[in-house]
Amino acid sequence: MVKPGQYLGQALLFGLFFLPLVYLTSQPVYLRQDPQLATIKVAVRHAGAVVGECVAAGGEAYDKLPVNMRRPEICPRERSPLRLQLRLDEQTLFSVTEPASGLHSDGVSSVYRRFTVPTGRYQLSMLMNDDVAVEGFNWQLEQEIELLPAQVMVVSFKGGFRIQ
Amino acid sequence: MAPEHRGQAVKSALKHAFNWLESQFSRLFTAQCNPLYQLGAMSFFYYWIVAITGVYLFIFFETSISGAYASVEQITHEQWYFGGVMRSFHRYASAAMGICVTLHLLREFAMDRYSGVRWFSWVSGIPLLWLLFASAIGGYWLVWDVQAQYIAITTAEWFDVLPIMVDPMASNFLNEASLSDRFFSLLVFLHIGIPLALLLGMFIHIKRISNVRTNPARGLAAGTLLAMLVISLWRPALSQAPANLDVAVTEVGLDWIFLNPYPLIDDWGPGTVWLLLVGLSTLLTILPWLPSRRPQQTPIAVVDPANCNGCGWCLADCPYEAVTLKVHDFKPGRQQSVVDPDLCISCGICAGACPSSSPFRHVDELITGISIPSLHIKELLPLTESKLRELQGTGRVMVYGCDHGSDFANTESESVACISMPCTALVPPAFIDYVLRKDLADGVMISGCCEGDCHYRLGNTWMNQRFNEERMPILRTRVPRKLVRTRWLGVQGQAQLDREILEFQHYLRHDTDAQAQAISHG
Ligand code: HEM
Repeated sequence: MVKPGQYLGQALLFGLFFLPLVYLTSQPVYLRQDPQLATIKVAVRHAGAVVGECVAAGGEAYDKLPVNMRRPEICPRERSPLRLQLRLDEQTLFSVTEPASGLHSDGVSSVYRRFTVPTGRYQLSMLMNDDVAVEGFNWQLEQEIELLPAQVMVVSFKGGFRIQ
Repeated sequence: MAPEHRGQAVKSALKHAFNWLESQFSRLFTAQCNPLYQLGAMSFFYYWIVAITGVYLFIFFETSISGAYASVEQITHEQWYFGGVMRSFHRYASAAMGICVTLHLLREFAMDRYSGVRWFSWVSGIPLLWLLFASAIGGYWLVWDVQAQYIAITTAEWFDVLPIMVDPMASNFLNEASLSDRFFSLLVFLHIGIPLALLLGMFIHIKRISNVRTNPARGLAAGTLLAMLVISLWRPALSQAPANLDVAVTEVGLDWIFLNPYPLIDDWGPGTVWLLLVGLSTLLTILPWLPSRRPQQTPIAVVDPANCNGCGWCLADCPYEAVTLKVHDFKPGRQQSVVDPDLCISCGICAGACPSSSPFRHVDELITGISIPSLHIKELLPLTESKLRELQGTGRVMVYGCDHGSDFANTESESVACISMPCTALVPPAFIDYVLRKDLADGVMISGCCEGDCHYRLGNTWMNQRFNEERMPILRTRVPRKLVRTRWLGVQGQAQLDREILEFQHYLRHDTDAQAQAISHG
């Protein structure tokens, strides 16, 4: 036989179980990022230039191939890695070399980075080289930006850099 | 201190804490409704609440970026009396399941119930933790509020450190413009698929044990539902501000039960948190095989075909489904028991169930159909007889108990004999009849683990049922019940057991009714 006191005790224990549980499902608030900081995300998905030249096909092995498999040129598949650099004023935020994906390094290179920076005005320069045959950076964006508190600014690439 | 000893100290402290809490809970809830004795069943119960409420929420949920948040808001506010309550049940039952599973893990560890035959339940429990967390995190993600935005970005960046992704997952959540409905459909699919995988995993988890308790006691279930209703009306589950990928997450309310690794990902970096979680899971997985000072398992049960008639009682009572039947070695048309060495836990419950374990048989040596070598029934009989013959005076009591219950070191006296064994259900009911009928003792006390919690899962339940004549082999009706007492008090009930024995002796000495029954039975 359960006594009234026991019911009270049970209610207390249910309370002791559920109250902290309910509290912990949303509290205490977590300070993930200083509200005075802004975020810059760089997301580039781009296939580098093919490394090497196509060469004219020929020779004994070529002649032995069935006619439908003969191609006039043999082209390499490997793609150039991407070399990326992001600068804010004189400070380099990051500088990476991202190889092409795939077993034969013939796929795209993808880069994603997130940075938090103090709000304010900056001279942003985003640089990229997508061809090992070229010296220096063959893609670039120079722009003056103003970052507001908690703003998210995205630098992406589609035939050229753009800022969103 | 060596790591092995430190582990032992932690385990022992945990065990004491659990034992203390359990006694308090039993006092308030009764042993049958003690939630700490049914943490696995409570986890199942919460799972079903989450599943049922989830189906309801899904009916109204819109699978799109623009619709998700608004549809959840609508359920919460416009249908607060039902949809809102469903949502709160969904959230709070998930959290409660998270807590119950964690306590269940800690308790199985503290009580040394994770090694030997139990390795399968232990190891199969670990993926359940991952699936449970993944299910909960997926749920919070669907709401598409600020917390979901934080989850989306952090989870994506967490996975991106693994060298499995060609395209970074985080580039799906760059800003509002880059967000696609397709990813959302995938999420919904995952939030249904992962919980289903969890359910499948839960059934695999309990596959190797018999008579599993997957439903909590009714009173406890009812109390839980009532408490959840009160909590849901008082503090309904709400969304935070809607997600906006163009604005960084700064302050965010977190579910600390399931999202506790996330701040660590921020602080320590994704790679370290992978190492930590995979390392912890690996450590848990190999725990059953790590050196430890826990008692080693004694040799498993053996069948004696000459005394086995294939009745199947041992099979029905084995808590680990270790006994099956096969065609009898030499009795035509009969079956005999077989013990699976990978499943037998050496508890001896099978020996207590065997009809051939009766001391009334006219045999030179009491060889039984099934028994455990560490305490064979043929040894239990002479042990009982020799101990009882030494007793003097009136109020002589035979105490049978188990190695996981009270320690008998100081309980024995000139009028009290004690025998401890792996599980008290090893004692065949016919022994009690025999002891009283032969006037070897005036009363028999059965003790062991706590009521509702047997170290071998079912021992005290089977004993109660045998004594209540609900389960074979029964304690025969002719045995005066006043001369037999069962007290499931566990290790924490040491002092109480000693008191109860004294009180029993007093009763046997002074109660005329008891004396009359003893005379008529003898
Ligand atoms: C979704 C999560 C889980 C559920 C629903 C669950 C449920 C259960 C249930 C119902 C039982 C049987 C209880 C009985 O009737 O004796 C059980 C046993 C067991 N569980 Fe879990 N469990 C979960 C997670 C875990 C985890 C994470 C671990 C540890 C890593 C674990 C370790 C064990 C062990 C060792 C047993 C065997 C106990 C014995 O043989 O005495 N479980 N579980």
